[in-house]
Amino acid sequence: MLEPVYELEDVTFYYKKGRYKANDGISLTIYKGEIIGILGPNGAGKTTLIKQMIGHLAPTVGSVKFQRQEVSRNTKDVVKQIAYYSQETFALSFLKTWEAIYFTGRLKGLSKKEAKQQTDNILLRLGMEAYRNKLVSKLSGGQRRLISLGTTLIGQASVIILDEPTNELDPLKRKLVWEIIRELNYKGTTIILVTHNILEAEKVVHRVAVIDNGKLLAIDHVEKLKRRVDQRMRLEIYAHEASFQKIQDRLEGFGKVELVEDAKLTMLIEKHSIRPVIDLIQDEALNISQYSLLPPSLEDVYSMLQEQQRSE
Amino acid sequence: MRIIHPFTQIFIELFILFRIQIAIVRHQLWWIIAMSAIFPVVTLIFLNFLLGDSSQDQLARLIIGNMVFSILLMGMNILGQDISYQKFGGYFTYYASLPIRKVNFILSLLFYGILTSLPSFIIVFILGQRLYEVSLHFEWILLPVALLAIFSVVGIGVLMGFLSPNPQFTNIVAQFLLMFVTFLTPVMIKITDLPIILQWISYVLPTTYVANILHEMLTVGWTASLFKEVFILIIFSCISYLLISKKIHWRVQ
Repeated sequence: MLEPVYELEDVTFYYKKGRYKANDGISLTIYKGEIIGILGPNGAGKTTLIKQMIGHLAPTVGSVKFQRQEVSRNTKDVVKQIAYYSQETFALSFLKTWEAIYFTGRLKGLSKKEAKQQTDNILLRLGMEAYRNKLVSKLSGGQRRLISLGTTLIGQASVIILDEPTNELDPLKRKLVWEIIRELNYKGTTIILVTHNILEAEKVVHRVAVIDNGKLLAIDHVEKLKRRVDQRMRLEIYAHEASFQKIQDRLEGFGKVELVEDAKLTMLIEKHSIRPVIDLIQDEALNISQYSLLPPSLEDVYSMLQEQQRSE
Repeated sequence: MRIIHPFTQIFIELFILFRIQIAIVRHQLWWIIAMSAIFPVVTLIFLNFLLGDSSQDQLARLIIGNMVFSILLMGMNILGQDISYQKFGGYFTYYASLPIRKVNFILSLLFYGILTSLPSFIIVFILGQRLYEVSLHFEWILLPVALLAIFSVVGIGVLMGFLSPNPQFTNIVAQFLLMFVTFLTPVMIKITDLPIILQWISYVLPTTYVANILHEMLTVGWTASLFKEVFILIIFSCISYLLISKKIHWRVQ
């Protein structure tokens, strides 16, 4: 039987003395040993929700329970069991990289020996061993982020909450972070992942909670969520910018066409519309250099849920 | 994992937090010394030109006034701005996410204030005597008293940093207080030389008692009459600690 770690019930949070609602009636359960992704656009209320889960804020209405205990009444116990990676500026910039990780380990209750051993392992795993005596402030933005992640990894947390852990990282380091997340989860750590990077997160998360405008739009397994748009396919079109308007006009009746990159348009189309759409875009006058049909991704689920919310 | 006794962990926490502050100061040491010494030393030199021949007591008051000025500058002005900047930069999220006690965190901030204020305090003490050819009385009891004096002012700096709505506001308030306290309260001049309204205001400022204690100790030496002033400084320190503790947005309690 699945063991709940976090139980959120009707969580509502107001900022500015009740003038701004950041979270609106969110209810969800997070289970031991899972990797759950919390997705949503900027300002959706993700970080506010996380801050209530780590006891930095108390919900205005509703309850947040960690291992069946109310977080706001047991913050000391909660912070002993969780590790939090924040998007905010790293506080230990003037320390050497090994000091930042080692001291954090000591503050988390590790003995000198354990803290030293874990610091060495973490620096090695992050590929930062060569920089152990360098000041954090002298590192690049991405390296600083890795050291900040190192301070999150040290200790014996049973739950790790990562708020945008791959921000500012190059592709290789992003890959390394996803690998580390998988390894930690394999050892039994529950991971709560807040991210914009839907495409990459899709590869590691078991379940996804989609939040927008402070509301929980959906929470389910990735595959189940994808099935919601299963009757559709994603069409990607590469064309010259001058043709964009013409393409959008032609495809108007089949769905919403979105510009995602400089020369790339994308849209979700019903399976039964594939043939007529393909016939239309094969018109040479549209200057389409390439097109492809793909199964729906988590990103499509996300877009669909947002569209649904707006239309409501 | 080895289990550490909770009581031992309190001291480990405090020790590690102090080590973090020492590491921060270590990195900025020369900047701190230059920054903290330049204004009091320049003021000291300027007053030397301005006043020329003055009584020994007047010169001692100027040196001690500049020692207090250096505490105000680093312990209130710079520290207040620093904390305000860190607060709005989200630095404290890191500490609040760790299983550490709020009291230890506050003590580490006060310790940082003491570490950054102490160099200029010593520099002005040594340089002032050389510059004015005045010999100040020194005894070892000065050290804990000086720490208490710095502590009571540093509390205001920490409080200001946490209460201020933004770093710019902290800057304005800190500049105003620095000028007001240094020149319009009995830091460099006798309290009896001030208008009555400023005398009354002076009684609610810890710097008045800091200047009194330092003046007495460095010119005469420790006397029983200083117990009262030290007691007042302890009260100031306790009040500022309690206010900081109440105003720091730590974890939900």
